[in-house]
Amino acid sequence: MEPDEIFRSIADVDGLKRGQYTPNNQGKYILDTNPSWPETVVNGLYVSDIRARIEEARRAVLAGQKSPLYYHMARRQMNTAILAKTVGMTVFRVKRHLRPEIFSKLKPSILDRYAHALVVSQEELKSV
Amino acid sequence: MKEATANKMNSEITVSGRTFIHQHAAHCESGVTAALFRDKGVKISEAMVFGVGSGMFFGHLPFIKWVGMPITTFRSRPRTLFPKVAKRLGGKFFTKEYRNAQKGMAALRNALSDGHIVGLTTNIYWLSYFPNRFRFQFNGHNIIALREIENGFRVSDPILDHPVDCSTEDLERARFARGPLEPKGFMYWVETVVENPDFRSACLAGMKESCYMMLKVPFPFIGIKGMRYLAKQIIKSPEKLGFPEACRRLANVVRMQEEVGTGGAGFRFMYAAFLQEAAELFGSDELAELSQEMTAIGDIWREFAVVSARVVKQRGQSEETFAKAGGLMLIPAGREEQLFKELYNLLRKLEK
Repeated sequence: MEPDEIFRSIADVDGLKRGQYTPNNQGKYILDTNPSWPETVVNGLYVSDIRARIEEARRAVLAGQKSPLYYHMARRQMNTAILAKTVGMTVFRVKRHLRPEIFSKLKPSILDRYAHALVVSQEELKSV
Repeated sequence: MKEATANKMNSEITVSGRTFIHQHAAHCESGVTAALFRDKGVKISEAMVFGVGSGMFFGHLPFIKWVGMPITTFRSRPRTLFPKVAKRLGGKFFTKEYRNAQKGMAALRNALSDGHIVGLTTNIYWLSYFPNRFRFQFNGHNIIALREIENGFRVSDPILDHPVDCSTEDLERARFARGPLEPKGFMYWVETVVENPDFRSACLAGMKESCYMMLKVPFPFIGIKGMRYLAKQIIKSPEKLGFPEACRRLANVVRMQEEVGTGGAGFRFMYAAFLQEAAELFGSDELAELSQEMTAIGDIWREFAVVSARVVKQRGQSEETFAKAGGLMLIPAGREEQLFKELYNLLRKLEK
C-alpha cells in the first residue's frame, strides 16, 4: 500500500480530526478539520517508516543478531539515548545489553528495570 | 462550519464548581493557554494567545538531532508561550517543574483540589487515549487536567474535540518521560488576572518580539536566515546525502510543518488570524492587509508541502525536484521578510 493510503485507512478507523485555521468565504478565520493532502502523505510515510523499523528489529532479533530488548525499544519508538535515561543507565551499558549473549545473562533486577521502562512483563521482554 | 464547532463544545464541571467549556484548537500550547485564561473570565481566542505570546518563529537546527533528524521548527520553543502571555496580560501565574514523580503527582492533586485547572506538559507517546498514528516520542505536548476521577484524571486535550479520561499511570509516565526536551512534570496555572487586560499593549509587545525573532537574531539558523539556509540545504541534499536519506529529511520538514503542532502551514494561518483580530482591535487597515499577505504566504507554504510530498511519494519519477521544493521555500522567506519589516515599521505608528 502507498503511504497516504495507509494513513487514510488508519485515520478512517480512529476518526480523530485535527483542527487548522483556514479563511472562510468572507475571509474570516475559522477552525477547519479536514486533513491536507501533504499531511496524509508525510504522516503515512512516517507511520510506514516506523512499522518498517519495528519489523526490521524483529527480524534482527529472530536472526540472533540482536537481543529482544532491541525489538521492544523499537516498538516504543525509543533510541538507546532515551531508553538509557528512562532506566537510569549509561548508553554504553544499554548498547551492551542489545547483544543477545549478554542480554541472556542479565539479572532479574536489571530485566525488571527494562520491563518497567518499556511497560512490558519480564516474559514478554525475553521474547519477540 | 461555525455551528459544527459550536456543537462539539463540551462542558465539564471543575472542582471549584465552574463550568469549563472545552474547545477544539489547532495547536496544543496556545489552545491550553487560551483555555486557562478563558476559565478565569478573560475572553481570548487561540490566535490571540499565539500572537501575544510571540508563537511565530522559524528555526532549523542542523546540530541538534531529534530521532536522527535535524530539528526544524515553525513555532517558538515549547513552554515559553504561557509565561509570555501571562506576563503581557498582567496576570499572576504559577509554574513549576518536579524532579520526583511522586511529588509531582501529589502537587497536581493538591492543585486540583484547590480548585485550579492545571496545564501540564507531557510526552505524547504515553498518552494512550490518542490513536497510534499520533503517538511518537515528543516531549512538548500540553493538556489541561480538570479534576481527579477514579484511577485517573479527566483531561481536556485541545487537539481532540472532546474531554477524555487519562489513567494515572499514563499521565505519570507522560509527565515524567525522559529524553530530549524533558517535560520534568512541568505544570502551570493562572492565579489571578487583571479585570480588563490591556490587549493593545500586549499585542504590541508580542508583535515586536516576533519581528525581532524573525529578522534580527544574529544567528544563521533562526528566522528568515534560517529559511534561506534550509532552502539551500534542501536543494543540495540529494547530492550530499543520497536520494533516500534526502527524501526522509524533506518528509521530516513537511511533517514538522503539517503535523507537529498544527495542520497545513498552520502557524502562518494562525498568525494571519491573529493579525486579523489585531486589525479589529486597533482599527488599522494596514494590519488587515498584512493579515491577507500572511494568508498568501501560508498558501505558498502549503504549496511547498504539496510539492515536497510529491517528491517524496514518487521517488523522483515526477518532474517535481528538490530544487523546485527548495526554491519554493525561498519565496515565503522573501515575503515574510518584507512582511515583518512592514510590521515593525507599523508598530512604531501604533505605539503612539
